Amino acid sequence: MKADHRKKIGVFICHCGINIAGVVDVNKAREEIGRYPGVVHSEDYIYMCSDPGQNFVKEAIKEKKLDAVVIACCSPTLHETTFRRTVESVGMNPYQCEIANIREQCSWVHEDKKAATDKAMKITESVIEKLVLNESLFPVTVPVTRRALVIGGGIAGIQAALDIANAGYEVLLVEREPSIGGHMIQLSETFPTLDCAQCILTPRMVEVGHHPKVKLLTYSEIQEVSGYVGNFKVKILRKPRYVIEDKCNLCGECEKVCPIAAPCSFEGNLKVRKAIYIPFPQAIPATYTIDADKCPGFLPIACGKCAEVCEPKAIDFDMKLEIIEEEVGSIVVATGYELYPPKMIGEYGGGKYEDVIDGLQFERILSASGPTNGEVRRLSDGKVPKRVVFVSCVGSRDPENHFPYCSKICCMYTAKHAMLYKHRVPDGEAIVFYIDIRAGGKRYEEFVTRAQEEDKVLYIRGKVSKIFKDGDELVVMGADTLSGKQVEIRCDLVVLSMAMTPSKRIEETVKKLKIQMDEHGFLQEAHPKLRPVETLTAGFYLAGAGQAPKDIPDAVAQASGAASKVLDMFSKDELEHLPIVATVDEDLCSGCGVCVPLCPYEARVMEIRDGRKIAAVNEILCEGCGSCVSACPSGASQQRNLKDDQIINVVEVMLTDGKGEF
Amino acid sequence: MKFFNKVTVPVGEIHIIKDRCKGCGFCVEYCPRDVLELSDEFNTKGYHPPRVKDPGRCINCGLCEMLCPEFAIWSTLKEEREAVIEG
Repeated sequence: MKADHRKKIGVFICHCGINIAGVVDVNKAREEIGRYPGVVHSEDYIYMCSDPGQNFVKEAIKEKKLDAVVIACCSPTLHETTFRRTVESVGMNPYQCEIANIREQCSWVHEDKKAATDKAMKITESVIEKLVLNESLFPVTVPVTRRALVIGGGIAGIQAALDIANAGYEVLLVEREPSIGGHMIQLSETFPTLDCAQCILTPRMVEVGHHPKVKLLTYSEIQEVSGYVGNFKVKILRKPRYVIEDKCNLCGECEKVCPIAAPCSFEGNLKVRKAIYIPFPQAIPATYTIDADKCPGFLPIACGKCAEVCEPKAIDFDMKLEIIEEEVGSIVVATGYELYPPKMIGEYGGGKYEDVIDGLQFERILSASGPTNGEVRRLSDGKVPKRVVFVSCVGSRDPENHFPYCSKICCMYTAKHAMLYKHRVPDGEAIVFYIDIRAGGKRYEEFVTRAQEEDKVLYIRGKVSKIFKDGDELVVMGADTLSGKQVEIRCDLVVLSMAMTPSKRIEETVKKLKIQMDEHGFLQEAHPKLRPVETLTAGFYLAGAGQAPKDIPDAVAQASGAASKVLDMFSKDELEHLPIVATVDEDLCSGCGVCVPLCPYEARVMEIRDGRKIAAVNEILCEGCGSCVSACPSGASQQRNLKDDQIINVVEVMLTDGKGEF
Repeated sequence: MKFFNKVTVPVGEIHIIKDRCKGCGFCVEYCPRDVLELSDEFNTKGYHPPRVKDPGRCINCGLCEMLCPEFAIWSTLKEEREAVIEG
């Protein structure tokens, strides 16, 4: 017992119903803690977090003129903010309020009432000993640049950009491909309403493309992000498209004379394009692009046939790679997904047989603007397939070989594919292999039922083991687990519902952004339930399938959520940052610099002051992890309100009996 | 690779006046389609003139003709034919 008597401390013990009081003798704890040096007030109540409970705290602070309070209750992750606000409302500095966690760390994990009561008191006493050395702290403030960056021009990025721009703030929308639109613009029709994807997306694309507050940077990539929340500096690499966007009038003469052909990735490689191309007619920006990897024209005066025929003189072989620098206050990451390549599933013949295709390729075949103008035909011989097998969960829900997670949208789009196929080929037969049907969503279950009942799609519950070619047919071997029989189906076309994976180059981008990824490479949200659009790095927000597989409504909703977080930030004049950050005692710092590479937030920098090197902390970047503090060999680095002597106090209380003996 | 559509691309025919060549190798070095190589044979001046190693790949871009200091090589359009993409 050595509490500093300079502070008058109040202790409030919560019963949390029977969560705490069922195990801890709260009366005894209150009485004994009341006698602890420095404690001038102790109280218990059934729910301290309730309004009456908080009022007790306020009243006691006012009446007893308390300098600091300890609330012994649940984890600080739950109610620390509640009680800090409570004490602040009656004029106490919020950092003079500390939580003693006697629920998660005591009552919930013990049964012996006496021992638990002793432990609850120990925990409370240790917090008192820390609290007596607490300083009053004030938030670190920082100005905010009211301008946002959205990375990724798919539906999620477009939605986030529009929401922010419509609220009156400038947005930079950066897209890697020549046009915005993402995967959604490749889709034929969308479930469960079967409205055409292009018809509903192109208005949004046009809106974002012409929005006065949106600066659209297509064919561009993020090169570097520095700075911190509210004050990011971004370097954006603009790849040359060798066609001047504003001059190109889409006449298409260049394409006719271009001597180089290449597979068109927008069309799922089902179509061939030229080295100068436009991915699809409604592309935004509406311009041709030269595929520099394929074009021979970059050597002086080689080829150049496109430039010869281009009437508006839009082709410029001298265009250079450009790096532009922009300042933004917050960043929405909407990097999207890719399909797991069918060639990864050797036993299904993906990548080997032309008539085993993935879901996005089938979307293109179904699409009215696709390579077959919406007519369902197969690639090998152009025939209309009379029996099509759809295989769901390919790569998904397969922890041994591929991915353990569910790709979420495949059940729905497989039902859609089968349904659309039956609409186009009424005498055809559609067969779906499934593990189970996950149709959770508004009108989703009804949609699948409609495919089964109205469109007579045959659903077989079971996995496909092998797909091989026999003559011009494909043979699908699998199990029907409902009848317990092996099945062998001859068909003309197989559509694999490949797992959704994060966009391939996401890893490079994520490293530049310093945000977290999960074990599968999806972007990591700050909290799976309560902070689904934030990241652990302040200023970065998530939208779309880059965070987890999701369908269009979910991506749009998350994008609007991310946008609202950005707008929340932009609504303030200054941003506040928690003051629990590292500090450096300049007299003690030897300038060794060991802290600098340890800091995961790049908040530690070496500075020269009075001719000698010392470490400094950028308080805005510091997240208070304490790595630098524990590494500092001279004890110069301390964390505010978690100083070495405070931690030693806590440890001492925990390890000694009531008389100070170990 | 198979595709649903077909596009045609030009195929060039390369003409070489071997005895004009002085073996500088510009045409071989700069051909964007890597169509040419230096041959083993000697011309009357004692140089190795270029040889067409892969006639189907020439796209009649005309770069060799532009570069040749001796006006010894040029291409003409042979035909327009369906593009073939390997892989």
